[in-house]
This record gives sequence, structure tokens and C-alpha cells, in this order.
Amino acid sequence: MEKRLIKKEALAGIIGELAGRMRVYAPVQAEDQVLFKALAEGEKPLVDFANTKNAPKNFFFPRTETLMKFTRTEKGMVHKDQEKAGEEKQGGETLLFGVRPCDARSFTLLDMLFDQEKYQDPYYIDKRAKTTVVALGCVHPPYTTCFCTSVDGAPLAADGADLLLTDLGESYLAEFLTTKGEALLSAFGGTPAGEAEDKQKEALATQAAGEIRSRIPAHEVKPILDARFEDPFWNTLHQKCLACGTCTYLCPTCHCFDISDETKGDSGVRIRNWDSCMFPLFTKETSGHNPRPSQKERWRQRVMHKFRYYMDNFGAIACVGCGRCVMACPVNLDIRKIVTDIAKL
Amino acid sequence: MQNPYIPIPVEVVKIVTEVDTKDIKTFRFAFLKKEDEAAFGYLPGQFAELSIFGKGESPIGIASSPTQPGYIEFTVQKAGVVTSALHEMEVGAVMGVRGPLGNSWPIDFLAGKNIVIVGGGFAFTTLRSLINYMIDERNRSRFGKITVIYGARTPGLLIYKDELDAWAKRDDINLNVTVDKGDADWKGREGFVPTVCREVAPSSENAVTVICGPPIMIRFTLPVFFELGFSKENIITSLEMRMKCGIGKCGRCNVGEKYVCKDGPVFSLAELDKLTKEY
Repeated sequence: MEKRLIKKEALAGIIGELAGRMRVYAPVQAEDQVLFKALAEGEKPLVDFANTKNAPKNFFFPRTETLMKFTRTEKGMVHKDQEKAGEEKQGGETLLFGVRPCDARSFTLLDMLFDQEKYQDPYYIDKRAKTTVVALGCVHPPYTTCFCTSVDGAPLAADGADLLLTDLGESYLAEFLTTKGEALLSAFGGTPAGEAEDKQKEALATQAAGEIRSRIPAHEVKPILDARFEDPFWNTLHQKCLACGTCTYLCPTCHCFDISDETKGDSGVRIRNWDSCMFPLFTKETSGHNPRPSQKERWRQRVMHKFRYYMDNFGAIACVGCGRCVMACPVNLDIRKIVTDIAKL
Repeated sequence: MQNPYIPIPVEVVKIVTEVDTKDIKTFRFAFLKKEDEAAFGYLPGQFAELSIFGKGESPIGIASSPTQPGYIEFTVQKAGVVTSALHEMEVGAVMGVRGPLGNSWPIDFLAGKNIVIVGGGFAFTTLRSLINYMIDERNRSRFGKITVIYGARTPGLLIYKDELDAWAKRDDINLNVTVDKGDADWKGREGFVPTVCREVAPSSENAVTVICGPPIMIRFTLPVFFELGFSKENIITSLEMRMKCGIGKCGRCNVGEKYVCKDGPVFSLAELDKLTKEY
């Protein structure tokens, strides 16, 4: 693996320059929020920020995505191009800069679902393959709600990243982790880094992990959830939930979606949109039957899916500890407290 | 990479109105491209997303048998947006089918055993597929005795009436058709499915029962089969859930660690016992 030292003041300029060669999404200040936006050539991204308001899953699994187009014929609406199934895919090389390690790890969790052996999701896989992820380590974890270390992550972890940048004070240590990352070597330039910087990063990693104060027993709850599907615990947990779905929309690992058709005149599109297990209609059947009839069952599903079912299916917890759901919940439902309470059952 | 979201183009070649209330029709589709038919290899019990561009998709069990080449059939009740649009369609219309999806009736497990098929109302569609599969001359010797118990509320609500008549004439299938309440022309059996199951009393010896019907029928039929000595491993059924993608991604048919669309829809009672009760 190639390692370089990049002068701190040079970084934003390097990314801005890359925006002239490929599509670059990076954190920028948007009013009072930090959001991923497409950079114009030469535009400098934020390099000093806490984390983005939205999770970057949007770049592989967009909020709204056209799956196919159709057009009217005498015999009915038909798929517009039966031969070229991949036509609708958005092409082009993309660079995703400034992804925090928790969010970078979410890509590896989403890969498990969208890139299974059977039923691969071509829309996700195509964008994932064309995107280089440049992660920015959290030398100082930004929020009190951060709990990545409880769910197999770490403030300076490299999972899901092609290139990891760690702030060493004067310079960034740039670790070119994959072939896609190494393709950026010439653009990043810098000077070779060695053992001294490795040691420095190691010390920072220990220190940063220590700064994470939220610790939850995420790995203890699986056997409890296995046994406690019918537990009085679920009867009250959801009561203040407004079913707004914000937690699932901000979650880097939530991946539920809806498919619907939109027609205008003689043509139309089939699109998929993010959906949420928090919504009453999510599972409601045409007959009127709803297997998850109240918010109780929906909350149980959310917890079970992240901490039990994903473990069963993929051997991983579907939570990266970014804390977005904790920060954004309008009624202060806190997944950290819920998991902690479950561990005491 | 094959795109599992793109439907296969098909043409409606035949429509049969199955019931006197006219809200259940069987649609026969022919593949517009010959190679698609070869690629659409399926087994009884599987389903597909019927895809009408501009309306959406609806997951429906395949009612034809793979032993009947040249077409696939689906029996559909008019209920929501997609199925209502389907019911308006005429022969010659072009639409899409996405599949086959899901597991199937466990054919290898059923082979060599006596098979008891229990169906109620319009949930008889994939059972019909299984029956036609088993009685096909190439397959019949692979299965033991075949007993069919099929009921509907009224004679007019029985589906596949011509086929029921044809099966009744065969000596290699014990067909028992019943209605909750007959009419002036009805000469057949009257009685609820669980009662008829008790009367027919199929032996549980080397036997498997495959049950599909409304929840109320299943609830009262299961105890009969327990009394007859059927184990939970030998009682097979199929679940219905709201679905979109059909390939275990969109999340809405998630029950426990399973996705009904890809891990089901077929489960044994023993498997369902292990699953969370959320369907």
C-alpha cells in the first residue's frame, strides 16, 4: 500500500482540481448545514467539519432513481429499450470526498445486500464500481452521539474507503488502500510516508477511540433479541414515535425502498424511492391486512433488522454508530438507550 | 450483469373469467421473445411480478405448470391498482412479467410420497400448478396417491371448473370438491374444507399435505391434519406479503431473518414455527 504525506493547506485545492477531471461530491457549507454537493472545477470543499447532515448512501442508492423508461404503443405501455437494459444507469467516474469512517463502513454493509451472489442490484453496483471513496478520519470524533467503536467501527478505520486521510497536524497521512485509490496518486502528489507516520497514526487512533464516550452493548443484544420477540419491552418503546421516518432516511445503512410508476402523456418512468419501515403503509396489503399494524411492530422491526436479522443474514450489525438518528429524532428516541435497555432484559 | 428489475415482455393470449362474480380471471401470456421462454424456467409454487407500465407491479403465483410449454398463466383477483388495470386488458395487449421469483413447492421432498392438496377459494392457483405438474405423464410415477380437497363458498366461485371436471374423470387422482353452500344446480358435496378433510381422512402414512387458502380455513384445517398424524414438517403452505422488488432488497416482506419473496413464499409448518409471527 502506498502512503504519502499531503500538506494540509494543499488538500482542498487538490480536490477542487480533481473536480475538473471527474464528478466530485464533497462536503460544503449550505446555510447552517454541511451537505455533500457536486463541486465545480476549482471549488474547494470543506476539510474541517464534523460530519454531513445526510449520509452519503445517496450516491449509490439515490433517494429517487429511475429504474427504466416506458412508452405507449398501440398494444400498451412497453419498456423503451428492451435490448439495452443498462441504458438508464447514470454513468461516469465519481469521487466521493470527505466521507467519515462510519459512513465509509456503511458502504461495506450495503454491499452485502445489494451485491449478493444471487440477485445483484445493477444500479447500486454500477455506481459503486465507478466511485472512489476518499475518507477523512476523525482524529477528534465530532459528536457526543458518536458510537462507532461499539458497532465494529473506529474513528480512523479504513473499511469501505479507497483512500484514507488522517490529520497528523502539519500534513495528512494519505493511505492509498485500493487500486481505485492508487489511481489518485499523481493527483495527490505529496511526499512518501513511513513508519514514523504509521506510529503517529496508531497513537492518534487509540486517542480518538478513547474520546468516544458513547458505548453501547451492541454485540450483547443478539441472543436477547432472538428470545424476546414477544416482550413487554416493545409495548411502550414506540409510544412517543411520530412515525416521521427521519431516522431511516438519515441512516447510512437503511435501504428499504418503494417502486412506483409515473406517467406523463405517452411515456413514463418506473422509479424507486427510499421508503421506511416506520411508515404504516409500508407493509399494508391490498386486502387491508397489515402484518405490522402499529408503531410497536415497526419499531421492533427497526431494532430487530439492525441488531438481529442483519447478523443472521450477513454476520454484521446494520448500524455504523454515526448517531444521526439520535441527533435528528424530533422526540429524542435514542437507539443507544434502546440497545442498552435491551441488554438489561 | 442481468438486470432483475426489467420485466420480460409478454402478450396476453387468452383470458378466462373464472367466477360468476367476474372479479377473478386467468390470464395466459406468451413470451414475445422465444429465448425468454427458455430462460423463464420455473417450478410450481413460484410467483412473478406482473408488470403493467404506468400502473406498477403485483406479485402473483404462477398458475400454469412448467409441463405446459408455450405460455404461463396467472389467476388474478381484481383488487388494487395493478390488478384492476390487468382486468381491463384484452387479448393482444403487451405487458411485462418479472420472474420466476421465490422458492417453489418442494418437489424433491414431495417425490415418492402420497400428496394431499388442500385448497380454499381463489388460493388454489399454485396448487393447480402443482397438480398439473404431478399428473403430467412424465411425472405421475414420481408421486404416490394424489388426494385433492378443494372448496369455495359457492359453486360459482370455484375456479378452473373445466379442469376440475377433467380431473374428476381420472382414476389416478382422488378429487373432492366442496362448496360451503350449494345452489339449485349443485350436485356435489356441501361442507367446509376442514369438515371435508376429516371425512376424506387421508392417511398420514408417507404423506405430505400442501395447504393454501384463506387464514380462517387454514386455522381450522390444521388441527384436522394434526389429528390425522401429519407432522409439522409434512404440512406445507405458502405465505403472502406485500412485495415490491421480489428479490430480497426493498425490505417490506421481511419476516424475521427471512424475506418471503426470496426465501419463501413456501414454508413448512415446522419452518413457520421458527419464524417470528409477523405475516
